[in-house]
Amino acid sequence: MESMVEVRGLSKTFDGSTYILKDIDLSIARNEVVAILGPSGTGKSTLLRCLNYLCEPTAGSVRVGAVTVDAARHMGSEVRALRRQSAMVFQSYNLFKNKTAKENVMEALVTVQRKPRAEAEAIALRLLEKVGMLDRKDFYPAKMSGGQQQRVGIARALAVSPNVLLFDEPTSALDPELVGEVLNTIRQLAEEGTSTMLLVTHEIRFARSVASRVLFMDGGHIAADGTPEQIIDSPENPRLRQFLNFVSK
Amino acid sequence: MKFSWEYFFATFPLIAEKLPVTLSLTLISAGFSLALGTAMALVNYYRVPVLAQCLKAWSSFIRGTPAVTQMFFFYYGLATVSALVLNMSPLVAVAVVMSLNMSAFVAESVRAALISVDEGQKEAALSLGMSSFQMITRIVIPQAVRVALPPLFNDMINLFKMSSLAFLVGIRDVMGASRIESAASFRFFECYAIVMVIYWGCTIVLTFLQRRLEKRCNAIYE
Repeated sequence: MESMVEVRGLSKTFDGSTYILKDIDLSIARNEVVAILGPSGTGKSTLLRCLNYLCEPTAGSVRVGAVTVDAARHMGSEVRALRRQSAMVFQSYNLFKNKTAKENVMEALVTVQRKPRAEAEAIALRLLEKVGMLDRKDFYPAKMSGGQQQRVGIARALAVSPNVLLFDEPTSALDPELVGEVLNTIRQLAEEGTSTMLLVTHEIRFARSVASRVLFMDGGHIAADGTPEQIIDSPENPRLRQFLNFVSK
Repeated sequence: MKFSWEYFFATFPLIAEKLPVTLSLTLISAGFSLALGTAMALVNYYRVPVLAQCLKAWSSFIRGTPAVTQMFFFYYGLATVSALVLNMSPLVAVAVVMSLNMSAFVAESVRAALISVDEGQKEAALSLGMSSFQMITRIVIPQAVRVALPPLFNDMINLFKMSSLAFLVGIRDVMGASRIESAASFRFFECYAIVMVIYWGCTIVLTFLQRRLEKRCNAIYE
């Protein structure tokens, strides 16, 4: 079966000598749930953000779904086509503050997919119900807790029926008691088994239980790649072992 | 000479009837300075090469010189070299100077409002496949408007007060009318008290409108 995400020779550098990402190759199959672990500053988020070109790679190619973009020669229209293949859930939620929960979910359906408002609204209500936010549909972000905002963020990402869901540390900005509600929502999606998901997270136990594959990044490389059992339960890479020891304490 | 309330109330309507001149100068310049200032702010926001640098120098020049000197420089100075300025009616000339002057301040207010919308929301819009035009019109501008309102309203109040400079080139606005009245009656205290009351009263009304508008705009964010 053809992969859903294909990354070839991806590099990101700011000054030509310091590499955030160095020559990354990665292939992700349809419906795989991939957790990306690693210390801060090792390029986890950058890798994720190169997949939708919020961060422009210096070299290499990215394919998501049917759209390929090469860093050496790309046009704005290609980048937009690539972005329409995925949807991202952000660390700081990034809901549109001038729109209600429902309008946040509807926005891309109306502007990008040009769906009639009634249809977009029906989709928005269905997804808000799915993430347990239907009763807050007319609330503006300022009136919602972090956990509620993030669940709306997940509904907004699901709305565009993306080929790939990108989660960029979705619980890192949340108060501890609100982490659970967001993780449960993500777990529910993972267990449905119908979405390809990439998840940058520091929640090792969560990654262990929902991911079908775990990547460990270190110094701009993918230092380890395997099943959760291989990576988290019996790590071989010394840096990985050190990392897991540190975070589990 | 004692302050004469009798004279004050008798002359008040004579001066107040020139308020339309003051207000139309303000409204016309407000329209032009808002349009021009917003365009300048967008040039700055998108960092349009060359143009952005030129506007920066222009803005520094405008903000670094008094409005009075700008008006004299334009109306009396430039008139010696430009037939266009020479043949310009005083009213148009004052409106041009007021618009140009205030556009630099409007540009700054709008620029600050545009950059106040956080990067995260813009990234969210782009990541969903929205074009940058859709992002700016549907996400950035609606939020920037709310941030820009208080400083823009202050700019407009300043513009209203700036219109009093029009008397210097012979326009009979409220300031000009009170100068003429006082020169005839020698009742300077009363005449200028009348102008002060008129300006103050109008500004109070404007400030009241400003408060109401801000409350409406902020309602959804609190």
